[in-house]
Amino acid sequence: MARLLPAGFEELEPWVSEWALPTQNRRWDKRLASTKEELTAFYAAVLPHLERILERADEHPLGQLPEPVARLFDLALMHAEIAPNAELYDGDPNVPYSFEERRFIAVHGHDEH
Amino acid sequence: MPPRKERVREELTMRAAAEERRWAKTYPWLGEDPVPTESCISQEVYEREVEKVFKKVWLHVGRVEELPEAGSYKLKRLDFASTSVLLIRGKDGVIRAFHNTCSHRGNTVVTPAGEWDNFGRKAAFSCRFHAWTYNDRGELIGAQEETGMPPCFKKAENGLTPINCELWEGFIFVNLAPRPAQGLREYLGEMGAHFSGFPYAEITHSFTYYTYLNCNWKVGLDAFSEAYHVNTIHAGSFPGTFSTGLQMIKLLGDHRTTAVCFNPPKEAPPVAALAQTKARGSLVNNVQQTILPPTLNDEKRDDYAFELSVFFPNWLLHVSEGIWFTHQFWPLSRDRCLWEGKYYVKPPTTHSEKWALEHAVVLQRNAWLEDTATMEDTFFSLLSGSKKFMNLHDEEILVRHGYHVLENYLSAD
Repeated sequence: MARLLPAGFEELEPWVSEWALPTQNRRWDKRLASTKEELTAFYAAVLPHLERILERADEHPLGQLPEPVARLFDLALMHAEIAPNAELYDGDPNVPYSFEERRFIAVHGHDEH
Repeated sequence: MPPRKERVREELTMRAAAEERRWAKTYPWLGEDPVPTESCISQEVYEREVEKVFKKVWLHVGRVEELPEAGSYKLKRLDFASTSVLLIRGKDGVIRAFHNTCSHRGNTVVTPAGEWDNFGRKAAFSCRFHAWTYNDRGELIGAQEETGMPPCFKKAENGLTPINCELWEGFIFVNLAPRPAQGLREYLGEMGAHFSGFPYAEITHSFTYYTYLNCNWKVGLDAFSEAYHVNTIHAGSFPGTFSTGLQMIKLLGDHRTTAVCFNPPKEAPPVAALAQTKARGSLVNNVQQTILPPTLNDEKRDDYAFELSVFFPNWLLHVSEGIWFTHQFWPLSRDRCLWEGKYYVKPPTTHSEKWALEHAVVLQRNAWLEDTATMEDTFFSLLSGSKKFMNLHDEEILVRHGYHVLENYLSAD
């Protein structure tokens, strides 16, 4: 069976189906739809691998990732999306004391990776 | 050494004593009176703003990079003037602006998709109503069954209606007045000189957000025109940044600019810290070397974070090391405006840079979500009429200057 992620990252495979998302809009929606527990669990699961993920992605020229590495990189981007919530907002999936997030339109929001 | 919080408090107290109302003392001609709130809620003031400001002065409407090739166009709706500006790059490379209105029966020539900006490229611009067609210079080049037009009809006189369009540092400006009182360079004056020489054209990787806000455009603009709110509004996204306030304020004609200074927090959480090692993407990174033109941070302060400026009437330009960003507030009516926030960084060359920039932009977007949180509440509450004045702090002198300049325009004949 083809692997979802490159060798050495098997531990993260259970996160791929829901969290490896290729656009900022989809990652943003996923954050808003998550509970505090889900968000902090994902943060903690990816954090120890983060530097290795970036090193692995940097083995390929920008924008030319084979599928398994692209999924891995999407996990890192998803992690960037939720990191401020985990690190600064006490795990709150929303930005506290903010404007209604869904009313912000990201022009680049559909761009892949 | 005393704990950080105490040191901060001590330093603030000392500074306050030494520099009490320093900007009022620097610019005494602005006065220190409360500012009437009427300006933000009055329909009559809004209508005068449209006629005496927005239809008269130079307005920033785009960047040259948005129109990369001959035939590239951008359609920008200007609701206050009930028009859309059609920017076209010609085969000669020149960017021209026109009203998007057909000379035949007045239909839109480029059919807009949605309310926000449209982009594209065309060899010719053909109205879908009766196929009247214009070239890249806005000249009418063909109409269906032309021979049926009356003898008095002159094709050469029926191009698209031009709008005055000029460039500064790759920024596209238009002026809706048939004969503007000043050219763009003269209008920008010292402000143009102050911001010239920054490598805008090299820092082109952009992230754009927009939303429609139920508030007067100035309520939005004012919220971004001071740094007095940073410790409260951004306690979430930029905690522990010890603000050293506004520095080097310059009121330059109708425009205004200031350095925003702060010391980034000494210890960042793990992901933020990793992102800082991968790319210069966030304002709260430490900076090693400068790319700023000599007009910026001329006092060479170590705590310089970025330049915050307001180009009258509705555009904020900020520059920092390797980053620049803008806000713009477009009036739609007295009680509604369009906000656009654009963040520019150097194009990433590796995946780890791309990841770090994603983190920086997400954090900046979150800060903007914090900034926009108060705007509709403020406006709704002002509508009550219960407060006739706003009481401005010395650190809000750019807001004060904004109302001063606006009043000059509104009271002019």
